[in-house]
Amino acid sequence: MKRLFLKSGLYIFLILISLEILVRIFHLGKDTPTRFLDEHEVEKWLPNQNGFSVTGNRRQNFSEYHINSSGYNSYREFKPTKDKIEIALVGDSFIEGFHQDYYNSIGKKIENEFSDIEVYEYGYAGYDFADQLHLVHSYKDKFDLIDHVVLGIKFSNDLTRYQYQVVSGRLALESPLNRLLKKSKLLVYSKSIGILDPPQRLVYRLKTMLRPIKPTKKISEQEILRLKKEKEKKYLNNFEKLINTYGFDKKRFSLLLDSRITSPLFLSYLEKNQFNYIDFAPLFEASKKSTTLIYDRHWNNNGRELIAKTISEHLKQKMSKK
Amino acid sequence: MLFNSLDFFIFLPVVFILYWYIFRKKIQLQNLFILVASYLFYGLWDWRFLFLIIASTLVDFFVGQAIHKSTNHKTRKGWLWVSVLFNIGLLGFFKYYNFFINSWIDFTSLLGYEQQSSWTLQIILPVGISFYTFQTMSYSLDIYYKRLVPTKNLISFATFVSFFPQLVAGPIERASNLLSQITAKRKFNYIQCKEGLKLILWGLFKKVVIADAIAPIVDDIFANYSEYPASTLILGVSLFSFQVYGDFSGYSDIAIGTAKLFGIELMSNFKFPNFSRNVAEYWQRWHVSLSTWFRHYVYIPLGGSRVSKLKSVRNIIIIFLVSGFWHGANWTFIVWGAIHAILYIPVFLMGRNRIYMNTVVAENKWFPSGIEILQIFSTFLLVTFSRVFFRSQSITDAFEFLKQIFTNFSFESYEHPLGYRMIDYFILLGLFVLYEYRIRKDERAPFKFKSRIVRFIAYTLVILGMLLFYDDHIDRSFIYFQF
Repeated sequence: MKRLFLKSGLYIFLILISLEILVRIFHLGKDTPTRFLDEHEVEKWLPNQNGFSVTGNRRQNFSEYHINSSGYNSYREFKPTKDKIEIALVGDSFIEGFHQDYYNSIGKKIENEFSDIEVYEYGYAGYDFADQLHLVHSYKDKFDLIDHVVLGIKFSNDLTRYQYQVVSGRLALESPLNRLLKKSKLLVYSKSIGILDPPQRLVYRLKTMLRPIKPTKKISEQEILRLKKEKEKKYLNNFEKLINTYGFDKKRFSLLLDSRITSPLFLSYLEKNQFNYIDFAPLFEASKKSTTLIYDRHWNNNGRELIAKTISEHLKQKMSKK
Repeated sequence: MLFNSLDFFIFLPVVFILYWYIFRKKIQLQNLFILVASYLFYGLWDWRFLFLIIASTLVDFFVGQAIHKSTNHKTRKGWLWVSVLFNIGLLGFFKYYNFFINSWIDFTSLLGYEQQSSWTLQIILPVGISFYTFQTMSYSLDIYYKRLVPTKNLISFATFVSFFPQLVAGPIERASNLLSQITAKRKFNYIQCKEGLKLILWGLFKKVVIADAIAPIVDDIFANYSEYPASTLILGVSLFSFQVYGDFSGYSDIAIGTAKLFGIELMSNFKFPNFSRNVAEYWQRWHVSLSTWFRHYVYIPLGGSRVSKLKSVRNIIIIFLVSGFWHGANWTFIVWGAIHAILYIPVFLMGRNRIYMNTVVAENKWFPSGIEILQIFSTFLLVTFSRVFFRSQSITDAFEFLKQIFTNFSFESYEHPLGYRMIDYFILLGLFVLYEYRIRKDERAPFKFKSRIVRFIAYTLVILGMLLFYDDHIDRSFIYFQF
C-alpha cells in the first residue's frame, strides 16, 4: 500500500510539473500585472509591464497588454500639452481592455477616426466613480491639459460609495501568498476556467453548514420596489457628494453609459442638470453581431468598435460646436 | 454522488483508506463497511430511495433461499415469480407507470374516446433502479436455474446489490462473478490498484473531454434541428454517438477501476464498439453486461437460436424491443430497439452474427484492410442513424429530424453555441479514435505501453486534455442515470 501512495504521489508531482511546463509553452494561463498604490493613493498597475491576457480554455481570447509609464494599459505614453487635442477615457476593466491587443484598443479606434488627437486610456479593473474622480483630482495638472474627459459609469455598480477610500480587498491580491500562487501558471489557468470552483464551493458549503440557519424573510413586491427606489436615491446622492467633493467640469467631462441599465431617475437628473452623457445603448441594440465576449460580459471587438464610434460621434459634435 | 464530482474524489480515498487499513482484518466488517459506504453514496443523492434498494435486497435474499430450499418445481417457479414481479413491479411503477397511462389515453383517443390524464403521477425516477433490479433478479434466476447456491449472509448479499461503483449505472453484475468475490477474503493487490487508477483516469477523460465537451453541440442541434441543414444534423447525430459512448463507457471504466481499488473485478461493459464490423459484433461490444443479461435470461430461455429460424427471429425481435424499452419509457427507445432488430436479423440469417466474436479489427496488423474500414464505417453509420430515435424527445421529433436531413440537403458550416472553435473538436475526436484503435485489443488496459516514459506522456496528455476541455457550466451528470 505504501508503494501505491508513494508512486501515486511521485506521478502526481511529475505530472503537475509537466502540466506547468505545457501550460507555459502554450501560454494557456494569463499573465497578471502587478498592482501598486502611488503617492496620491491612486491604485494602478506598476508601470512598464508587458504580458498576455488569456480568457477561457484553449486560449479562446488571447491578447497582449502593455502597461505604460503612467500605470495604464495603452500603447501611448500620457503626455498632455496645450497644443494638441487629447481625450481621456477613464473607467474600469471595459476601458482598461485586457481583452484586446493594446494596439487595437478603444482609444486607438477613436484615434483612427480623427487625424490629430491622442486618446489616453485610464482604465483599471474595478474602478468605480469614486476611483475615477479621485484619479482625475490627484492628477489635476495633467487632466487640466486634457481637452475632453469621458468617464465610464455603470449606475448599479459604480455609485455604491460617496467617498474615496483605498480598496484594500483589491490590493490584497498583491499579498505575498497570492503573488506566490500566481507564479504557477497551471494554478492561474485552472482558476480561470473554473476547475477550482468546486473546492471553493465545498468550503463555502461546509462554512454555511456550521453557521446557524437564519429564517428567510419573504419580501413583498412593493417592498422590493421601495428598496430599489431607496437604492437609486442613495446612488444619486453618492454621485452628488462625489462631484461636490472633487468637482466636475461639465464642459469637458462626459459620462459614458448604457441607458438600458441606468435608472431613469439618474438619467433625468443628468438631463435636468445639463451633464453631458454618451449613451451607447442605441448602437448596441441595433447591432446584429454580438457585442460581448463568450466568456464574460466584456466588450468584444464589435462592441469596442461601437463604443469608439459612439464616443467619436459625440466628440465630433462637441468639437464642431466649438 | 457523481464520479466526476469533487465529493467523490473526497469520498473515494477516505473509503479506500478505511477499507484497507481499519476494516481489512475481517471480511464481514469490510463488507459491512462497503455496504454503509454504498448506502451513503446513494443516499447523498436521495436517501428516500434507499428503501427501494433495501426492499429489493430483502425480497431477493429470501426468495433466493426459498427457491433453493424447495424441491417442488411449482413452488420454485412461484418464488421466482415473486422476485420477478416485485422487481418488475418496482420498475413498472417508477419508470413506466406514466408511460402506460399516457399510451392508454392516446390509444383510446385514437378510438374516439377522450380521456383526461388524471391518472398520471409526479414520479421521480430513482437513479439506478433499472440496474439494481436486474442485478437482484439475475440472482434469483440463477438460483432457479441451479447455476448458483444462495448466500446465507445478508450483509454480503446487500453489498452485492448495492456495491457503490456499479450501483447506479452498472455494469449489471451476476452473482456468480461479484457475490463470489464479495464473500471471499480480499487481499490488497498493488497491480490491481494501479490498473484501477489507470481505468479511472481513462474513464474520466472519456467523460470530461469527449462526452461533456460535445454535449452542448449535440443539445443545440437536437433542440433546434428544424433550423439546421442536413450537414449540421448529420454532424449532431454523429457527435451524439461519440457523446453517449464517452459518457457511458467512461462511467463503466470509472466503475471497473474503482472496484479494482477494493479488490473486486467487475465485468467489462464496453469493448471498443466503434470498431465493430457488423451490428452483431457491435452488440458484443456495446453495453455488454445488459446484452448478456438479455441473452442469458430472455433469449436463451425463449429457445435462443436452437429453435426454428422463424422462432429465432421472433426471439431476436423480442430481446431488442425489450432492450429498447429497458432504456426508457418512451416509444423512441422501442423504435430504436426495433431498428437494431431489423439491422441484426439479416446478419443472423446470413450466419455472420458470431464470426467476429473473439477477434478485433486488424488482428495482428497495424492497419485495417479496405473492407474492414468499409465495414466499420457502415456499422457506425447504421448505429448512428438509429441514435436519432435514441436521442429525440419523441417519435415525431425523430421523424422530423430525419425528414429535415433528406429534405434540407445542404451544407453549411456550424458554429458552436458557446462560440468555441469547432476544429478543436474534430481534432480531438480524430485523435481519440486513433488512440482507441491503438489500444483496441484490451479495454481494461488503456495505457498499455512498454516504455514508462510513453506511459507518463500519455497520462500527462490525458490530464491536459481535461484541462483544455473542462467547462464548469456544463451539466456533468451521466446520460445513463436517466435509465
